[in-house]
Amino acid sequence: MKRSLTAVLGATAAISLVLTGCSGADDEGSAGGPQTLTLAGWSFATTPEFKTLADGFHAAHPDVTVELKEYDAANYDTQMVADLAAGKAPDIYAQKTLKNFYTYQNGKQLVDVSDVASGLAKTVGGIDSYQADGKTWAVPYRQDSWVLFYNKTLFDKAGVKLPDGSWTWDDYAATAKELTAKLNGPKGDYEHIWQSTVQGFALAQTPGAAIESGDFGYLKPYYSRVLDLQNAGAQVKFGDATTNNLTYQSQFGKQSAAMMLMGSWYIATLRKQQGSGEADKFDWGFAPAPQLDKSTTGTSATPVTFGDPTGLGINPKINKGKLASAKAFLAYAAGVDGAKALAGIGITPADTEAVRDTFFKLDGVPQDDLSKFAFTKHETKPENPVSKHTAALQNVLSDTHTAIMSGSKDVGAAITEAQNRAKNEVLNK
Amino acid sequence: MTSMPLARRRRGRQVWRDTAVGWSFLLPNFAGFALLTLVPVALLFYYAFTSWNVFGGAEWTGLDNVRQMLHDASFRTALRNTLYYTVFHIPLTLVAALALALLLNRRLRGVAFFRTVAFFPYITSIVALAQVWNMLFSPGYGPINAALRGLGVDHPPGWTTSADWSMPAVIVVGTWREMGYYMLLFLAGLQTIPGQLYEAAKVDGANAWQRLRAVTIPGLRPTTFFVVVMLTIGSFKVFDLILVMTNGGPGQSTLVLSQYIYQKGFVENQFGYASTVSIALFLICFGVTAAQFLINRRGSDS
Repeated sequence: MKRSLTAVLGATAAISLVLTGCSGADDEGSAGGPQTLTLAGWSFATTPEFKTLADGFHAAHPDVTVELKEYDAANYDTQMVADLAAGKAPDIYAQKTLKNFYTYQNGKQLVDVSDVASGLAKTVGGIDSYQADGKTWAVPYRQDSWVLFYNKTLFDKAGVKLPDGSWTWDDYAATAKELTAKLNGPKGDYEHIWQSTVQGFALAQTPGAAIESGDFGYLKPYYSRVLDLQNAGAQVKFGDATTNNLTYQSQFGKQSAAMMLMGSWYIATLRKQQGSGEADKFDWGFAPAPQLDKSTTGTSATPVTFGDPTGLGINPKINKGKLASAKAFLAYAAGVDGAKALAGIGITPADTEAVRDTFFKLDGVPQDDLSKFAFTKHETKPENPVSKHTAALQNVLSDTHTAIMSGSKDVGAAITEAQNRAKNEVLNK
Repeated sequence: MTSMPLARRRRGRQVWRDTAVGWSFLLPNFAGFALLTLVPVALLFYYAFTSWNVFGGAEWTGLDNVRQMLHDASFRTALRNTLYYTVFHIPLTLVAALALALLLNRRLRGVAFFRTVAFFPYITSIVALAQVWNMLFSPGYGPINAALRGLGVDHPPGWTTSADWSMPAVIVVGTWREMGYYMLLFLAGLQTIPGQLYEAAKVDGANAWQRLRAVTIPGLRPTTFFVVVMLTIGSFKVFDLILVMTNGGPGQSTLVLSQYIYQKGFVENQFGYASTVSIALFLICFGVTAAQFLINRRGSDS
């Protein structure tokens, strides 16, 4: 009995020595020799950007291999939080939304990458969102902005003038109604069920609007206009879209609507779906999103829109010897070379100025000047301004969105309720 | 003199061996239970009194979470909605399941087929069910409202897109989904009622309704008790159905407690507060079940 116990203890000690020996060797293998970095991403089958960046970086730095680790897109943050807490997360992980950046940064799960950020061009959009306590904690590699997609074929059929970049929301609403009346079938526009399709624009364009303020009066004109379009039959009703699980890709791609506000990621999707036959073949383009007033319309001004950057951050548990390589990867992904690689597969990088030519060379991307303008020139404000309360306030506002859009509550009452909830449950709890 | 302690020792060894065998049978199950349920539940009671966002340590905040919960209007909404669901879901499912069981307990051509049909919703994926029901309930194009219009209802309800009708819609689907399962339990219960009792009742001149009230329902008492307890706990914990059908909306009209816990914990990373709400839900379930046991015991004594 005693002897077997000693044997077990001995074996355990031997195994743990082997294990520590392994990790010790790993620590040393950093100086100069070949290295492997791990990178977290989601749905690799439909999100090719991670592989593009990994391959592109490896081509420039043959010593460093970037290994991908796949997460579930819908539960990315939940799984990442669990892996980080367990100390098993990859070396580099993407900031999928800004909503959870605070959780990671405040939870000390990001390495300070201010040195990488200071080396990036001024045209890289969205860096500000990753700054806190005077330091930068992640760098953006893609920055989608919301634009107005329109179906030129349907516009011509209806004999309605194409968007020219001069639109305010009233012009947009009037055109949607005119299209609906003249097309006799397809709707003027499709408004997807997300809260951001209304709230994102209201927050970005209204002067002084802030989620943190707990004052949501800025939402009112935006909701009134959408409800009016819905009641006039110029767009599918919210309830019909939710109960029938309508997808925005089929609503616009199958020509059920002549216009649609959507993020610039849809450019790549639509191009691909028109190629594969999932979407109809028709002529399309995209224009800057409609504006609050005339001060930001026209191609000599800078239109205001919204969109969250997608960033990359470094796990503080990374081996010290790999940190320099990881920072080099971030610099590559957010820099000009990474941007060009991303634009080559139809993705909107954070630096759109640098890739204009690459991007519009792709087959199936519209070639008109207004699309090029909309792609490169915009002031993109974050949908989820980073703060301690963002996630909770967005949840409150999500309830407001469904209550208003379904017609369960009128706009004023729903906003008052949201303000009370924000005050009592989030801001002063 | 020497044989007595030997026999005792032998018996002692036998007892010890039986205990060890018993434990070894229990162990795989118990180890899993302890690791995946017992320990997390015990930890929950600690986290409920802390502020914890997963990273780093949990900070002890005493009764702050409880105080916050008592002043939390969303918690009260979730509690009210949970009670709303429970109060309607339990009796409806109970009656529907019992009626189905009585109906399918006869000698009937193709009875196995109909039993399978009734059980089918229970084994079908809830996500697929929710999608189909949502389309049926669709206010503009759905067949349910089309039928109602055909019957002369000018303004049929908006179902899952209306704050007033979303909960009834969810209750209908919840009842439809679960009645097949409880029907099976009632069918099993009906087999245990001795046939002589029915014969005796018939001889005494009892009609079908009297036989149901005097024989069937008392005979099903243990089954009914079990079904009510399971239904109560299931109703208080309702989560997946709501999440996939309405996601708590429109507004907060179908927000229930377990979904609120999920939201606070996994969406907003307030695991301390989510634990406090979980304990509230646990205490409610525990209290109601304990009350049911007491009532049942008092009823069976008399």
